[in-house]
Amino acid sequence: MSTSTASLDQKRALPRRGGARPRSLNRRRQILGALFTLPTAVMIATFFLVPLGMTFWMSFNQWPLLGKHKWIGLENYSAALSDPNFLQALQFTLEYTVVITPILLVLGFGLAALVKRGNRPARFFQSVYFLPVAIGLASGSFLWLFMAQSQIGPMWDLMRRIGLIGAKSNLFAGHWSSLMVVIAMVTWKVVGLQMLLLLAGLQSIPDEVTEAARVDGASGWQRLWHITVPLMRPTLALVLVFSVAGSLLAFDQFYIMTSGGPSNSTITAVYSIYRYSFIQFKLGYGAALSVLLMVILAMVSAVQMLLLRNTDHT
Amino acid sequence: MIPRSIRFVAAAAALGLLAAGCSSNNNGTTASSGGTPSGTITVWARDAEKDFMGNLVKQYNSSHQVQATLTVIPSANYVQKLGTAAAAGNGPDVSSLDLVFAPYFASTGVLEDISDVYNTLPYKDQFVPGHVAQSTWDSKIYALPFTGDASVLFYNKDLFTKAGITTPPTTWAEIRADAKKITALGSGTYGFTFAGACGGCNVFEFTPYIWASGGQVLSKDGKTAMLDSQQVTDALQFYRDMYNDGSIPSAAETDSGNQQIPLFTSGKIGMTALGAFAIPSFASSKVNYAATPLPGQNGGTASFAGGDVIGVINGTKNRAGAVDFVKWATDTQAQTWLAKNGSAPIRKDLLDSVYATQGQSFEMVAKGLEEGQVPFSVVENAIFNDNNGPWVKMIHDSVFTGNIKAAQATAQSAAQKLIDQAS
Amino acid sequence: MISDIRRSLPRAAWWTLNVALTVLFLSPLVVMASMALKSSGDQGHIPPTLLPSHPTWANFRKLTSVQGLNIFHNLLNSIMVSVSATLLVVLLASMAGYGIARTKFPGAGIVFFVALASFMIPFQAILTPLYMLLKNMGLNDSLVGLTLVYVTFNLPFALFIMRNAFASVPQTLEEAARVDGCGTIRAIVQIMVPIVKPGLITAGLMAFFNTWNEFFAALILITSQEKFTLPVTLTMVASGSFGQIDWGSLQAGVALTIIPCIVIYLLLQRYYVSGMLSGALK
Repeated sequence: MSTSTASLDQKRALPRRGGARPRSLNRRRQILGALFTLPTAVMIATFFLVPLGMTFWMSFNQWPLLGKHKWIGLENYSAALSDPNFLQALQFTLEYTVVITPILLVLGFGLAALVKRGNRPARFFQSVYFLPVAIGLASGSFLWLFMAQSQIGPMWDLMRRIGLIGAKSNLFAGHWSSLMVVIAMVTWKVVGLQMLLLLAGLQSIPDEVTEAARVDGASGWQRLWHITVPLMRPTLALVLVFSVAGSLLAFDQFYIMTSGGPSNSTITAVYSIYRYSFIQFKLGYGAALSVLLMVILAMVSAVQMLLLRNTDHT
Repeated sequence: MIPRSIRFVAAAAALGLLAAGCSSNNNGTTASSGGTPSGTITVWARDAEKDFMGNLVKQYNSSHQVQATLTVIPSANYVQKLGTAAAAGNGPDVSSLDLVFAPYFASTGVLEDISDVYNTLPYKDQFVPGHVAQSTWDSKIYALPFTGDASVLFYNKDLFTKAGITTPPTTWAEIRADAKKITALGSGTYGFTFAGACGGCNVFEFTPYIWASGGQVLSKDGKTAMLDSQQVTDALQFYRDMYNDGSIPSAAETDSGNQQIPLFTSGKIGMTALGAFAIPSFASSKVNYAATPLPGQNGGTASFAGGDVIGVINGTKNRAGAVDFVKWATDTQAQTWLAKNGSAPIRKDLLDSVYATQGQSFEMVAKGLEEGQVPFSVVENAIFNDNNGPWVKMIHDSVFTGNIKAAQATAQSAAQKLIDQAS
Repeated sequence: MISDIRRSLPRAAWWTLNVALTVLFLSPLVVMASMALKSSGDQGHIPPTLLPSHPTWANFRKLTSVQGLNIFHNLLNSIMVSVSATLLVVLLASMAGYGIARTKFPGAGIVFFVALASFMIPFQAILTPLYMLLKNMGLNDSLVGLTLVYVTFNLPFALFIMRNAFASVPQTLEEAARVDGCGTIRAIVQIMVPIVKPGLITAGLMAFFNTWNEFFAALILITSQEKFTLPVTLTMVASGSFGQIDWGSLQAGVALTIIPCIVIYLLLQRYYVSGMLSGALK
């Protein structure tokens, strides 16, 4: 995200046609702009920064839901780093992210390629693929939870008829099978968004460039790998950062569909924070875990952007 | 809901409980201070009670000056919601809550000490012991028993007959043998099922096997976890054996509590442990069922006393009104109506006179409730009811993977840690 | 390149693939509709039937007949909260988007960065502080408080879209308007707003979908039953006594939640798609 911000600012910093304009006009515009932004800034400060600050403060305390809190310094943090439950949840979250990110990216890219030609039928299919994005994550989860139920679920029944699963199998009883059901639901629900974002990137590549490569005798895959992908790097960066952040913060789909099972093997990091805060009522500890998760997320995002930016210069 | 109120009026009239007109400021139990309670109060209940709570509040409002407003809250989020609100001094005046949470809310000062109210109740000695024990903290009473339930073993009489079983089981070995015979009937029948991914279900349905065999899951004071005791090992082995026999369907492994009843009413299940709440579903199905007490390993019986207690929330602005409602909720009129509408009363006198008389299953539940136990702990939720907690993980891993000792050791240390951190 | 893949694919294959995918994408919605209309006899049928044998509204009626819950009242709350939050989000995000993209006042970058940083926050982490904060502001158990929280949580994405939408308007256009004698504000309203309309609609729709479906904050921040929003009520309706799931009412509830979103999406999708395309990628 900051990649795009930076490049945009540079772009606008160069042609300074307003240079001849009286400074006062510029100044007035700036004041107007600041005034326009003020309500947003106030809202974000009040309902986002202040609670965030309180979360930080709580993370240094032993803070039960009911009763008095007590300053304990970094104890929550040191406990978190040796908490097998949290570490397992973190590991599972990474596992989920690593599995689902390429699936979304590749399928999103494939769908974008399918509907790229913007004629009427293509636009129709594009609308269909995007439709589930309008559906809430919780609604989607409840719907797929039913579809995958043993015996009564239509998807389960179809899989049984095809012979993918046995007549007694229970999709939510296995770690991988339940994870796969969740991944299928999430893919259905969000791949349309990825498709649309990637489509925008595809459309921004001038046809002449690929045409020239074709004339030079580059094969389809060569063109895809050496021309399309590098040119789409900013889009890919954006899609990747959003998608990874979304996966690392996953909660609803697991809470509703697997309830963390089987045997607590699908508890994500946020799920674990939820459990510490709202089932065990250790709000301070939950806050510390949140802070740790934020740090991890910021690091992962920064690494992604650095990687994608670096290759830009080579 | 009209049929219900008609039924209530009929029932109450028959028992001669309903004074004509039900005059607005006369409720027999208000005695102590001067004026009649008035004003408004808010009452919270969990959504499992939505079917009768609205009606009960309506009845109260129609006969009292105090006017109560009901808020129904999703069961899964009840503790968290009440805790958050109470922490901000923003709770209701009265809360009905699952009795297992009473120690937590009593110990944290969310519930108000109502020992004075309790002591004035003429029927206080009739209360079932499990509910009173849960409501007691530091020898003071923080809530009154409100709704009752108890775990019993339901069995399908037709399947029993088909399998040639003549008497209900009284030991684990008999349950296992019966389950095998029923499974052997074929065509998709199973001898037994339970909710393998549901903590609350298993504390209700599984602990009685341990208790009836002389074991415990927690020490009496709630300070020591006893999940690694021999009786727990044996009970887990008992379930594991039935699973190995093929007597338990695969659905049990991920059942978070919503499959037991449909499975049983489908007529394909021989036995399952449930409570009074399941009776209406069973009654409306074609299944020919009966109940029997949950047995110990070699005999003996036990039951989990479930249900709700009702308390006054600390800091209420209308204590008199809140107390009035709480008292009314436990009096004969309200409890009799509840008894006729799916919830077991929490008074022994009424259990015998108006509840047990409704049928064989009711009789068994009444018996279970009178002798029912509850593990006492301020971290009950985190250890037992939490679907990702140590208790259900221990049962799940033991039954479906078979590594019982390791599962017990893990659960024991996790549970003890939760207890230690809370104190 | 990619377009060639399509060109080189036989036309029939392209159609086959798309039609198959369409069936795949729409089938969950068919399942939902079918289940919502099934009678209780059909619901437990093993194996499940594709369509209800006797379609009935019983599941929907059940949603309205639970004691003490008034689902239409809750529906109204949901509409009020979602619509007002959406309008506020669109208004505030457009103003700030313009300010940040086009006037470059000192600190614009910081506001934008902080807004974007909120994508990294697990929302559950700040819920308890938020509850305490609203209480101190006298906004606990209030739909206004809930609306303000929703506005804040949907501002970052809307701001992202609107800033980029405004940034893509050619500088000359705004100047031309000003030369024509328009004041800055009139220039914005008359010249720029029509151009960024797809962005506005995208931001608005996203905010609407999010607030319409939000469950957890609504559950914690609202305590009176008459102020509950639809998702909170639905979870209670769907769960029968003691944890049984009534799949039929659940799917009816899901349908009730999903249908408004789908209708609105289909009505506005022309703008939505182009707003996404132009707004998201600058």
